[in-house]
Parts: sequence; structure tokens; C-alpha cells
Amino acid sequence: MTTQSTTHTHGRGATTWQMTVMALRYLGGRKLRTTLTTLAIVFGVALIFSVNLVLPGMRELFNQSMTTVTGTDVSITNVAGGTFDPAPVMDVVDRNEDVQAAVGLLYRQFVLPDDKSDVLGDLSQIQIVGVDPALVDGVYHFVMSEGRFLEPGESGSVIISSSVTDLAPQLQVGSTFSLTTVGGLKTFTVVGMYTPESPLAVPQFIVSLSDAQAALDQPSMINTVEVLLKPGADHDAVTKELQQALGGSYTLDDRAATSALPSIDVGFAMMSLFAALALFLGAFLIFNTFRTVVLERRRDLGMLRAIGATRQQITQTILVEGLIQGILGTLIGMVLGYLLAAALLSGIQSLADYVTFVGDMKLSFNVTAFAVPLIVGPLVALVASYWPARAAGRMSPLEALRPVPAAGLRHAARWSLIAGGLCVAVAVALMLTGSKGATFGAVLFMGGMVIAAPGLVLPASRLFGPLVTLWFNREGDLAQGNVARQPGRAAITGSTLMIGVASIVMVAAMVSAFMDLGQDLTDGTFASDIMILPQSIAVYDNVLGADQSLAGDIQALPDVETVSTLRAAATTTDGAPLSLLGIDLSTFRDVETLMFEEGNADDAFAALSAGRGAIVTPLGASTLGLKYGDDFVIETAEGPQTYKVVALAQDLLTFKTTTALISQENMAADFHKSEDVLLMINLTPGADKDAALSEVESLLAGYPQFTAHLSKDYADTMMETTRSATVMFYIIAALILIPAGLGLLNTLTINVLERTREIGMIRAVGGSRSQVRRMVTGEALLLGIFGAAMGVLTGVAISYGFIAAFSFIGWDMPYTFPVAGIIAALIIGILLALSAGIMPARSAAKLDIIRALQYE
Amino acid sequence: MNIVRTESLTKKYGTPDQPIYALNDVNLEVAEGEFLAIMGPSGSGKSTLLYLLGGLDRPTSGKVWVRDAELSKLGDDALSHLRRTALGFVFQFFNLVPVLTARENVAMPLILDGVPRPEALARADDALALVNMADRGTHRPSELSGGQQQRVALARAMIARPAVVLADEPTGNLDSRSSDEMVQMLRQTVDASGQTMILVTHDPRVAAYADRIVFLKDGKIADDNRLKGQGSPDQIRDQLSKVALA
Repeated sequence: MTTQSTTHTHGRGATTWQMTVMALRYLGGRKLRTTLTTLAIVFGVALIFSVNLVLPGMRELFNQSMTTVTGTDVSITNVAGGTFDPAPVMDVVDRNEDVQAAVGLLYRQFVLPDDKSDVLGDLSQIQIVGVDPALVDGVYHFVMSEGRFLEPGESGSVIISSSVTDLAPQLQVGSTFSLTTVGGLKTFTVVGMYTPESPLAVPQFIVSLSDAQAALDQPSMINTVEVLLKPGADHDAVTKELQQALGGSYTLDDRAATSALPSIDVGFAMMSLFAALALFLGAFLIFNTFRTVVLERRRDLGMLRAIGATRQQITQTILVEGLIQGILGTLIGMVLGYLLAAALLSGIQSLADYVTFVGDMKLSFNVTAFAVPLIVGPLVALVASYWPARAAGRMSPLEALRPVPAAGLRHAARWSLIAGGLCVAVAVALMLTGSKGATFGAVLFMGGMVIAAPGLVLPASRLFGPLVTLWFNREGDLAQGNVARQPGRAAITGSTLMIGVASIVMVAAMVSAFMDLGQDLTDGTFASDIMILPQSIAVYDNVLGADQSLAGDIQALPDVETVSTLRAAATTTDGAPLSLLGIDLSTFRDVETLMFEEGNADDAFAALSAGRGAIVTPLGASTLGLKYGDDFVIETAEGPQTYKVVALAQDLLTFKTTTALISQENMAADFHKSEDVLLMINLTPGADKDAALSEVESLLAGYPQFTAHLSKDYADTMMETTRSATVMFYIIAALILIPAGLGLLNTLTINVLERTREIGMIRAVGGSRSQVRRMVTGEALLLGIFGAAMGVLTGVAISYGFIAAFSFIGWDMPYTFPVAGIIAALIIGILLALSAGIMPARSAAKLDIIRALQYE
Repeated sequence: MNIVRTESLTKKYGTPDQPIYALNDVNLEVAEGEFLAIMGPSGSGKSTLLYLLGGLDRPTSGKVWVRDAELSKLGDDALSHLRRTALGFVFQFFNLVPVLTARENVAMPLILDGVPRPEALARADDALALVNMADRGTHRPSELSGGQQQRVALARAMIARPAVVLADEPTGNLDSRSSDEMVQMLRQTVDASGQTMILVTHDPRVAAYADRIVFLKDGKIADDNRLKGQGSPDQIRDQLSKVALA
């Protein structure tokens, strides 16, 4: 007989393999529970994956819209993104001896109206590029696949990239079509097709520079100079030289970010937050399940320890099980996430088409999109099962063969109450000070509640117990005792439900606050009688407007009293993107009422006409770090200019953007923009609005990029659409209830299993089936009330904190107590608990007395 | 040569004011190859003694040696290693892993020790053959009778060829026929392999197979009886009741 170790170092794999087999079989042996626990991971992963699939595509699309024509050595654009006089720039470029050739372009990407020429097929967005046919070939050579290139002095001709025909098959050499321009429709003929460098690029329509300047109402202006360097020239050095010579008003090889990006990011941050919350709940559920698993299996585990398994090996068996569930849940979650992303895409597309154009989006299958869920999902499962696994490893073999003492749990409950109570107290203090820490306070509040939960179980079961007893008689007492017996388990179950209920209350509170704000803004914004809107409002990067003749024609209509127009430009200040709206100072206040946060209308408008003043949106001010009265420098086509913040104010079209309102005079002077992108019309008193609308519409026949609406109807529709869009938030909040429901089901099922013998005893001494059923249902109800009550409290606190935090980005919203939301959340929480109790209650009632008594 | 030895072994529960002694100053020596039965009334400390000998529990005071190793000096991993290499356990409630087949259950101590799986399973088949369970290797515990499960548990206890097998009421959950089969198998094992067997039982018919019976009462050794396998169940029963009533 040998006493030497027989450990085979090469045999570690055998142990791991056997542990994995064992884990798989244990999991397979409890299919329902495994499914429920796995689902906990599925939801979070699905959300994360879909966000990562959709987000880069959206960002990419916005960035793409900024892409220039060609892949030359150096592109020079204006910092403000506006047009400029080519002469001084070309002068600098031509003087540089490393430059071989340079050409000025005027290009603009814009959205085609829905009722465009049939020959344009499914094209939704194009880039019109004006080039000088005589010069462009020296810098960039178009590879013609068909037809010919433009000839100098030619007008009304266009060459198109051959990829255009994918979307517009009818468009061939010789086709004639009419195209929307700032001055109305113009006719063009296709004379040739070229092969584009990248098939993914936005479809390009190359026209002569003068045609482009006419179409965009930018006579003798360009917005890009493309430069070709001599062979062997040092790109970086030349770029530096040129930059120095041109000064800060010009950017080399850099595309300004669009102002819509931040608001996309905010939306996706919200989604990611929900995903994180769902995963957090998933972790809870896994933690709870594995704690139970360890208790349930303590005999098996004790035996393994007795026959020589080390602590580490025991810990490993449980971890392997957690990991398997994590991987399984992740894979299923990713499939679900893909479907969700596809649905989300079509949802965003239809919503986005309404408010702001974002083009055709694609799901982006990038490495991050896959890596994040693949890492996070299994990791969450692993972390959540770690503590139960460690506890399993720490069991002495004997402990495992004996029942567990409950003394330690009580002790822990007291500490959790103290620690959680402290967190909640700090959180409330943070939220009441109304500082920027309010958001952190809100999160801390939830954390505190979760920590305090084990300590709250006992008082809560005493508090709500009589209520349950009222309904369930003596069985209610038993239920109360059963809940209080496992405070840890009841706490986790209650916490899961709490987070679900809190999300609903939070969404309800925030939606009602936002809708109130939205309604106020809408009333001010749509104060005119008729509005003429471009295809995209709020973001004007891709909008093609109209020259002044349209406004003039409308003003001439007999019923029209006032026409006020908006003009748009994009620029940067201190490197950050800023949208500019040019308003007509003489008429703006007749058609629209801004909501002033700081400053007042009279002074602000007086200041706008007096000099370079800007009314900045509160969000913009907080993003850019500007205060009322500050001077700030913005990049313009004429170089940097100093503007003064004359007020902080917003309307519905600007409130979620970084926007400044300036006078149209300043916009024309600094940005060379005189194109109207939005028109607001007031009618003479007593005029027939519908008749006036059709008159306006008939004038718009030559401007398919615009549509006319009765302002009130449009505002109502918009509010309605927004309201229905908020349903999505409720749906996501409700999704969070799913893991909560699973948690309840899990806990109740386990409680019944664990008490099988006890239930047999109750039946043996004369308890009826229905009494047993009522006992379990009472337990479910008590857990439901416990979780829902904590949830309502947390939901109110969190939403209060978040709404307080919003005032720091300039959205002052009064907190309205979401009474309906609270009642709904309470009812949903309790109903969820009761329905989760149905199955366990039934199986408890169905137990065979003899077998239950002998249950091991 | 003593393979197991205790010195003033004491296990105390309860408060310092009102201590309850599960074991009180027990000195015991077990020779290599000996078949020892531990008997005594309920609460006399039989199982506690067995658990302490097997390193499943730690004594309040006193020492246990298994071969040359003093258990209190071993860390948890070393103790685990000792259990899977030098000790074998058989429990009253079989304690087989329900999701593993009979042969996988038997192979477990080897697998835990890092023996490659095919080798471990082959040796498990051999061990199952010794307990006449060769044809049931692929069955799960739930598909086996109580007697069959206990034979699987015995095979598992023997597979690492431990020097000492510790059995806690191994027949406590079996009918009389299975019980007889089991104890005969235990006896044969000792005779054939020279392993040491320490068995806790309250059944005189089982104890009758032992070389030596130690009677415990209130945590102390009340009697130590060397039968050399010659005792009769009736004689043992008389002695047990005498100890209990003393």
C-alpha cells in the first residue's frame, strides 16, 4: 500500500472534463430551472448586442455624409463647413512648390424628396459635386465606364458613378431627369458614367462647377480644394505648411463631426443602461439560483469532499456550471439581439425619417459588437456564481452532511440594514442638494436598497404579513414565517422585483416630465398657422433649402400676412460642433415663441440685431460650457468671429441640440448662407386655413424638398408620434420584469422543493391541498408586495434624481408624481408575483403525502 | 503496527458554561489489517469518532494519526489528498452523485486525483466487478436498488486502494439480505487485501463479523472487545445492552 501521492500532473484535464460533464448533467437534470436562469443572461446580452450592432452603423452613416469626393492627397475645407471664395486659398496652394495641382469643388450631400423623377429610382440621398472639367483631371482622374466626361463650358450635363444604377437602374447615359435645387427643379442629362473608388460611397452626381453653384445658390463659391502633391513630397510637412499659410479658418483632411452625433449617443447610452440593468438582474438571478443549488446539493458536495475533493475542485464544479449557463445565455442572447437589432433598425428608420433624416442604415458586424457580449455575458455569470461557488468550497465535509444553522444569516441581515440605510441616506442627501451628484444619488439609492433588502425582509414581512393574513387566514401566517425564514433569498427575489417595478415607475415619471416639457415647447414652436418643412428638421446638414424667391412668392399670396424663414449653417466653436439657425428678426416673434431659460425676448432680439449675438440652447450652453453674457468665438467662412450669448432659450426643434440662433444678416455675412430651410407663415385674421394651405402647396410644386402643414395639425401629429414612441421605453422597462418574474418563480419553486417534507407533514396532520396551495400563494403575494413597495420607493427616488440632473443640461422639468405609473407598477408587480406562484403552489398541493415525508 | 491512533481525542459542543461532550478523552489504536466495529447507543459519539478519524471534522482537543500523519497538522488540501488516497468512505445514505453513472461515481476519487479518465474508468470497472456490479456500470444511482447503490459506494471507497476504509452505518438503510451481503463483502475485502476497516454500526449481526468491537458511551470508550471474528450476534447484543444500562 503506497502513501505517496498519486497525483498525475497531466491528469488535470480529466478532472475538469469530469466536472464539466457533471455540470452539464446537473443542468440537464433541472431543465426548467436551467432555462429560467439562462434567460437571465439572455435579455441583457440581447440588448447589448443589438445596441452594438446598430450604433456604429448609425455613426458611420452620419460620418459618411461628410465624406468628400475623391481620395486626393490633401483636402482643404472651411472650419465652419461653409463655402468660401476660392481665390485666396488657391493662391496659397499654388505658391507651395510641393503641390502638383489643385482644384476647387463645390459639393453638397442632400436628401431627395419622395416625389422625385421616376428615373431616379430608389435613390434617397445623393451628393452633387461641382467640378471644373478643365482642371479636375490634373488632380483626380475619373475612370469612365461609359459615355464621356464633362466638357468645359457645358451646362445641364451630369456624369454619375456606376454604382448609382444599383438603386436607379433606369438611369443610363442619355437619361434626362429633373433635380431639386435651391432655385426649384432643374433638368439634367446623363452624359457618362464612371467607376467609383469605393462602391459604398454616397451616389455622386458630377456636374460643372457653375451648375453646382447655381443649384446650391452659391455663386462663385466652393467648399473644398483638393490638392495633389508632387511625387516624393512629405505629406505631413506640406500639410503643416499649408495649414500655417491658410490660418485657423481652414481644415486640412479633417471632417467636422455632425451635431446630431451627441444625441444619437445619448439614445444609445440609455439603451446600454437598460442592458446593464438587465444583466445586473441576471446576475442576481444566477446568484440566487446557485446559492440554492449549493444548499440543495450540499450532500453531494460533502461526499465529494469526504472522498478527497479539494475546496478548489468543489468551487470549480459550481463555477463551470455558471460558465456553461453564461455561454449558453450569451449565444441565445446574441441570436435574439440580432433580431432585436433588425427590428430596432426599422423602428429607428421610420421614426428618424419623421424627425431627422439618417439615410439607409446597416447593421455593423464589427469585432466590438461581438466581443462585448461574448466577454460580458459569461463574465457576469461567472462573477454571479463565484460567491456561491466559494461558499460551496468552504463547506467542511461535515457541514455539508448536516443542516445549516440560521444564526449567521440574522447577523448579516442587521449589517446589511445599516450599510444599506447609510447608502440611502447619502443618496437622499445628494438628490436634495440638487447638485450634479443627483444622478449618482439616484444610482446609489438603488444600490442602498439592494444592500438593505436582507435586513428589510423581516420588518416588511411583519408589516405586510397582516395584510396577507387578512386574505389567507392562518395560511398567511405560515407564509409570513416561510418568507422570514430565508431572508437572503427573499431579499434577492424582492430586489429583482424591485428593480423591475422601479424601472416602470422611473419611465412613467420621466416620460410624463418630458411630455410636459415637449408640449410647452411644441406650443411655442408651432405658433404659426402654416409651416413649410424640409425633409428633416432639427438637423439640417443634408437639407436642400430654397432661395428667397419662394418666400417672396408665398408672401404675395392674398391670405398671407407674415412669412418668416429659418436658415441653417454648421460650424465649430473651440473644436466642438455647433449648429446655427439664422432667424428673420423682423418676423420671427410673430410666428414663434421661444422658451427663455435666461435672459428675455426683448433684450435678446434687440441684441441680435445690434451685433454678433447668439441665443444659445440651454443644452448647447452646458455642452459648450457657455453662460449667459459670455463671448465665444465661432469659426466662419470669413474666419473666426466673436459672438455674445444674449440669452439661453430653446424651442422644440432645437432643445436637444447644440444650437445657436443668430440673425440672418450675420449668417449671410459670416457663412454666405441665404438659403431658407424652413418657412413659417401667419395668415390674415379670418382667412380660410385649408384654402391657404392648398395655395401654398401649389407654389411648392417646384420644390419637392418641402412639404406644407397646418402647424397645429403637425404639432399634434408630432406629439402623438412622440407619445407612441415612448411606448418603446415602457416595453423595455417591462422586459426588465421578465427576469424579475423568473426570479420569483425560481425562489418559490425552490422553497417548495426544500420544504417538501414539511409540506408532507402539514398534509399528514390534516392540512388540505387548498391550504397548502394558499400557503405558497400567500408567500408569493408577500414577496410581491415587498418587492413592489421597494420598487415604487426606488423608482420615485431615481426618477427624481434623474430629472433634477437634467436641469444641469438645461432642461428644467418640474417633477410630477407619476400616480398612474405607481399604481400600475404596484399592480403589475403583485400580479407578476401571484402568477409566478401558480405553478409552485400547484405542485406543492399535488405532493403525495408519503413520498413527501420520505423526501430526501 | 498501528495504522490509526488517537490521543486524548475530545470533541465539545455547546457553551463553555454548559459543555456537551460528543467525545471525551478517547485513546484508541487500530492495527493495520484490523476489522474494527464501533458500537454504542444513539448519541454516544460513534459517528463523531469516525468523522474525526477520517479528517472530516476537527477535534476540540487531542490528536489523530493516520499512519505517520498527525491530522491537525495538515492543511485542508493535504487533508483532502489524504482522504482521496489513504482513506475510503462508505456512508449510510450511499451519497452517490445522482447525475453520474455507477462507474463514474466509482472513478471519482481517481479523477479528483488527476488520473486520466479512461484509466480511471477502467479501474472503476474492475472495482465494480469485485462487488459483483460489473453489469451495472452505466446505470445511474436512481436506477439501482439500495443494496446495489451501497455496493457501488463500497467500490468507490476501495478504488484508490486506501489503507483504511471508514464506514458509517453502511447497512443502516438496507434490508437484511442486502445487509448480509454487504458485511460479507466488507469482511472479504479486509481478508483479501489486508486493508483496515473501521465501521460504525448498531447492528450486532454486522458487528459479529468484526475482529474487535469498541463500545462507546457518553463519548468515552466503555468497553473494548477483541472477538477475532468469533463473536455471536446474541453475545454482542447482550454486551451492548449492558454498556447502555451501566
